Amino acid sequence: MRRLALAALAILIAGAAPLLAAAPASAHVVPATTIELDVHEDDITAAVTLPTSDLTTASGIKIPEGEIDESTADAIAGYLGDHFHVSSDDDAWNVTIGDIASSETEQWGTGLFPSVTATATLTAADPDQLRSFVLDYDAIIHQVVTADIFVILHSDWAAGEVESARDLGTITLDTASGEVSPLRVDLDDGGLWQGFAGMLTLGVSHIAEGTDHQLFLLTLLLPAPLLAVGRRLRDVAPTGRAVRRITAITVAFTIGHSVTLALGTLGLPVPQQPVEALIAVSILIAAAHAVRPLFPGREPLVAGVFGLVHGMAFSTTLSSLDLSGTQLGLSLLGFNLGIEIMQLVVVLIVLPPLVVLARTRAYTPLRITASAITAVAATGWLLDRIGISNPVGTAADALGAASPWIAVALWVAAIAASLHDGRAQQLVGLRRERVGVDHDEGGDVARAHGEPAAHAR
Amino acid sequence: MNPQLNFRGATPPRRLSPRRTTRASITVASATALVLALASCSSADDGTATSESSTSASASASASASASSTEAASSDSVVALAEAFAATLSDDQLTELNQEYTFDNAANWSNLPNALVAGGGPGGGSGTGRVGLQTDSLSDEQWTALEDLLAAATGTAENEGFDEIMQHLAADDYLADNGGGDDYGRGQYFIAFLGTPSDSGTWELQFGGHHLAVANTYTDGALAGATPSFRGIEPMDTVEVDGETVQPEQQERAAFAALLAALDSDQLSTAELSSSYGDILLGPGEDWAFPETSEGLVGAELSDEQKELVLAAINTYVGDIDDENAATILAKYESELDETYIAYSGDTAMESAGDYIRIDGPSVWIEFSMQNGIVLSGAHPHAVWRDKDGDYGGLTS
Repeated sequence: MRRLALAALAILIAGAAPLLAAAPASAHVVPATTIELDVHEDDITAAVTLPTSDLTTASGIKIPEGEIDESTADAIAGYLGDHFHVSSDDDAWNVTIGDIASSETEQWGTGLFPSVTATATLTAADPDQLRSFVLDYDAIIHQVVTADIFVILHSDWAAGEVESARDLGTITLDTASGEVSPLRVDLDDGGLWQGFAGMLTLGVSHIAEGTDHQLFLLTLLLPAPLLAVGRRLRDVAPTGRAVRRITAITVAFTIGHSVTLALGTLGLPVPQQPVEALIAVSILIAAAHAVRPLFPGREPLVAGVFGLVHGMAFSTTLSSLDLSGTQLGLSLLGFNLGIEIMQLVVVLIVLPPLVVLARTRAYTPLRITASAITAVAATGWLLDRIGISNPVGTAADALGAASPWIAVALWVAAIAASLHDGRAQQLVGLRRERVGVDHDEGGDVARAHGEPAAHAR
Repeated sequence: MNPQLNFRGATPPRRLSPRRTTRASITVASATALVLALASCSSADDGTATSESSTSASASASASASASSTEAASSDSVVALAEAFAATLSDDQLTELNQEYTFDNAANWSNLPNALVAGGGPGGGSGTGRVGLQTDSLSDEQWTALEDLLAAATGTAENEGFDEIMQHLAADDYLADNGGGDDYGRGQYFIAFLGTPSDSGTWELQFGGHHLAVANTYTDGALAGATPSFRGIEPMDTVEVDGETVQPEQQERAAFAALLAALDSDQLSTAELSSSYGDILLGPGEDWAFPETSEGLVGAELSDEQKELVLAAINTYVGDIDDENAATILAKYESELDETYIAYSGDTAMESAGDYIRIDGPSVWIEFSMQNGIVLSGAHPHAVWRDKDGDYGGLTS
């Protein structure tokens, strides 16, 4: 069982590894133009970031500090349009430039520098040509010949690549000939299945990295193996009942977040900051409930209601991908399925040891300590998300990295406890045989609950 | 020879002692400095290429290594001093020091601090960082042996060659202490022997780090190439480090500015490039990619005085290698001056970001580019000296 848990953890870590390693995909040191492509069903959007000083040198356009006025924006859009051409098989694509804005950018090793951002929409004459094209772009580099341009794939739904940062190539001067050659881009073969699988992976990683979502669910499950009597958590619930209750909470959370994930992705506006803050509140309430039941027996309802809030947060990930049509439908399905799979993995890893440990005297201090830590983390997040940055919030973000070790510790403790318990049962059995007491159903719970402590003396 | 070729004024050259030097190594350093001072004074007097200075390199060699190489031929003493340096190292250090002689290893230099090279990505070099032994592992004794080796392989003029490298390391310490942090400083440099130092066969002495690449290739004991040689510096302004004045690249800038200032307006407009330059063209990784067409003002159009200024600018790079070999190479470049082009972009003062100048001859290729500061606010230069036949001793792949 422990080996199984470790294997599951290994899969969890392996799943997260590529996301961590993807960080510095483009190291410039000198501020450089980047073109980040989002490949959609019918067109490609290119987010262009240009260092302002190079842009001024090359275009002659005076760019004032601060907001860019309309005539300057038009001049920049006109200049970019002159230097931005895309074609497939000699068919010219339609390129429209918009969203000209000033910004501050930091690239790897550059520090912050003033930049101009723009969005270009690239539309092929035939959608079939979308995956193979020639990018004939020479803004800035036609004049500042050392200003290399880095072309990066940001997302390509059909190839299952989302939140990516893959280098597609560099537009650079050929020093020998003095020419700047267009960049040929051939995207990987894509399809509905790859796209669906990509969204599923995204869902998995979203929960694997979403410490706050995990923490909410786990904290809500923390008192599930116990019976509440009034406002106090007393005896241990029978295993079957505990499992039923855990299932009900998990399913309710799933239904709640699925509803708002769908609504948010389909266009219902999501106020991001209040939602993020509410998520922190939900964790805080779950932590309080785990110490002293606030809503005994109504955990599934609470899980469902807060599931609605968590689902809204999930939906922002999907809506930022700007999907439509078939891709949107498959994304909803795949992303949600990924979330459920990862949620199930987390529950399966953490719940068995909790059920075992609930039968020991160690469970009460464990439950209280875990709830307290969770409450502190949630408070840190809450402050962070209402605009008060604090070290607790930052530290809480790092909790995710520790979660595999917490899971391992739980399993070790549970296995130790059950071995101990097993030996206790043997001893009790012997003693009972000696005094001639029969086994009975009723004595089972009492023994499991009380005897190990007695034996420990 | 024109006095502008000698950048040795009345002040004796300074040899900067590294921070960690013990009293013993300071004694060696000051003894060497005295010898260097005498050598450079005498050569300043007669104004000839400095055979005496070469002897001084050998003299500093004999201070710590076997005295077998007493002759002025620097390659011999380079091999002897390379062996003497290696003899001070532990087995683990030797494993790092001794690398294969391959084009990949030779071309694996960069202008970036190693932490940024190791980060990878476009413009970030190999992604694995530099090869060789990192200088942060060196004891004082090992540093002294390394300095003796570098002194033998480099020039003796003030602010050039060896003195320039010592100032360069101090400048990087300054960066570390003034916002650069742990990625900077004299402990972030790498020394590598590509192949085995020997008087037969080919090997390369590679020393480099942030803004510095020394690449001396020796074949059968003779210098077969001293390029690509990269020199950049931040801080460009004069700073004090441990009481020493640090200004290693200023006379390069001054030499270029003096050359452009001596051109008349017609010559300047011919020399001016239409393109703008944010950096040098042929930086790390841009090997054997010299432009097929030379741009700018051809040397045949220059007066004798102007040619001397071109030669003086060239000598601020060629003079970084040992004096005897520098004289040979400079003579070759001088013979090709009529077919050597001068081209620039930006302002002629070569002080502001965007200022750029290039010397492009049948053999010589020198670029100097002023660009925005990275750690500090002022502009700073990148420069490379390449040789169209001699880069990596002719190794092309």
